[in-house]
Amino acid sequence: MPTELVRTGIGDHRRGLLAWSLGIVGYIALIAAIFPSIEGSPDFNQLLESYPEVLRSLFGLSEGTDITSGPGFLDVELFSFMLPLLVLVQAIGAGAGTFAGEEDAGRLELVLAYPVRRRDAVLARGIAVAAQVLVLCVAAGAAMLVLDPFLGLGLARENVLAAVSGLAAIGLFHGWLALGLGAAVPSRAVAIGIPAGVAATAYLVNGLHAVAGWLDPFRVLSPFWLVGSSPLQTGIDWLGALIVVLAGAVALAGGAVLVERRDLRTP
Amino acid sequence: MGEVPAIEAVELSKTYRGGVRALVDLSLRVERGEVFGYLGPNGAGKTTTIRLLLDLVHPTAGHVRIFGLHSRADGVEARRRIGYLPGDLRLPDRPTAAEYLASLSRLRGTVDVTRRDELCERLGVVLDRPLRQLSKGNRQKVGLVQAFMHRPDLVVLDEPTAGLDPLLQAEVRAVMRETAAEGGTVFLSSHSLDEVQHTADRVGVIRSGRLVDVDTVEGLRTRSLRHVRVTFGDSVDVDALGRLDGVRVVAREGATVRLNAPETAMDALVKELARHTVVDLVSEPADLEEIFLELYREADGAD
Repeated sequence: MPTELVRTGIGDHRRGLLAWSLGIVGYIALIAAIFPSIEGSPDFNQLLESYPEVLRSLFGLSEGTDITSGPGFLDVELFSFMLPLLVLVQAIGAGAGTFAGEEDAGRLELVLAYPVRRRDAVLARGIAVAAQVLVLCVAAGAAMLVLDPFLGLGLARENVLAAVSGLAAIGLFHGWLALGLGAAVPSRAVAIGIPAGVAATAYLVNGLHAVAGWLDPFRVLSPFWLVGSSPLQTGIDWLGALIVVLAGAVALAGGAVLVERRDLRTP
Repeated sequence: MGEVPAIEAVELSKTYRGGVRALVDLSLRVERGEVFGYLGPNGAGKTTTIRLLLDLVHPTAGHVRIFGLHSRADGVEARRRIGYLPGDLRLPDRPTAAEYLASLSRLRGTVDVTRRDELCERLGVVLDRPLRQLSKGNRQKVGLVQAFMHRPDLVVLDEPTAGLDPLLQAEVRAVMRETAAEGGTVFLSSHSLDEVQHTADRVGVIRSGRLVDVDTVEGLRTRSLRHVRVTFGDSVDVDALGRLDGVRVVAREGATVRLNAPETAMDALVKELARHTVVDLVSEPADLEEIFLELYREADGAD
């Protein structure tokens, strides 16, 4: 395993990762700061209950969600959409950029002319992508734990761990899918486009399967459904999260096999 | 054990997707300890050959061995012994040359740090500024250092002196010669004869994906193109001369005709001339630059 490729895979993006982490922490702080003004206003629950079911379902307002509680509020405001979106964009960008992007830019040629096996290069970059996703998720989790005592969010420590683990599982799956695709097919567009499309579709399937009955059988294919959608209130489905991570690992391994068979693209 | 050549390509062909035949049945042997010049016009297949040596692209047919190691099956072992400078060198933006070379050294694993620093000093590498701020020539120096820094058995250079000033070009030539003198092998690809003729022991000429000639620089010079100047004492059908195989009429000034003719056509040409009254006849070898221009011209004609 070329550890140097793990190192450069992370190091070359440390500024970007720092910016992403600060951004996500800032966003969490902003949302959490709103909480005290919502806390203990039952009107909000009544308002949300008056929404059509399709909207409730899309916003991740599962049955029994109490938006005036800290965990319920953050589940709806952060974990139902914004945090997964931010992690996805970062993960897919990192996965597509680190191999397909480098190849497009012509910078992979010299690396692969070194005594490095291509599949090891892909796996090394897989570790680098995982590390970036984990840093971002740890930053998000740490932000919540630090803010909790100040804002009275009432978060359960183990649920915060579960929530960011679920987030990381989603991020890993899409990041590795992007990396695997970019290794199998020399195209950054494919490496970004397909995982983004997969994520959008899976998100809608998870959001709408309850109201659109024909989607129901497909829910098991959605990483969002597998992980579960109210992590701070009820934790996550750990087995589901494990399956999501393994599916990502399969995509990565597939890319590592297929990259050996093709020609390196000329910039 | 007999001497295994540094490079042995056997009936190597490469057809890219889309049907472009970049290389056709190319067989080539580069011996240890020589500087081998690989000459051809742009698009002739030089870079494709190099990418096959490094297993960056896979051959459609045939195979390459590097010191007996199969370029695909034993690719990692083969590349351990190669230093490579790409023709289109792309470096990352942010790291400095010092950071980047340190990173490549760790990736390589077997770098002679003293050698690396000595090369940096010799070529005057700017070590402490981000690579994106460096000029093309200064980036090229970084590429050269990484190609030589592990004292490779085989150095593969694609247009190595592009962007370098004449002084540095001479320095790079010196490094190549030293490498060969220490038993290393240099595969030097170029479209510029000037770059190759002072450095290479042997030259391979490629055009349209085929190896058309392999010889020493001196050998090519002596058996190749002649400039022939004939002054006639009677009227002559110049077109008839131009129809002789390989002969090209360059100019006609009154009774004097200038021709380019390969050595192989001299006999037929002289016999044709003998049918006329010849006042004067001068034949002299063309310089190398012209020989190659002639070879390239034929390449264009062949397509």
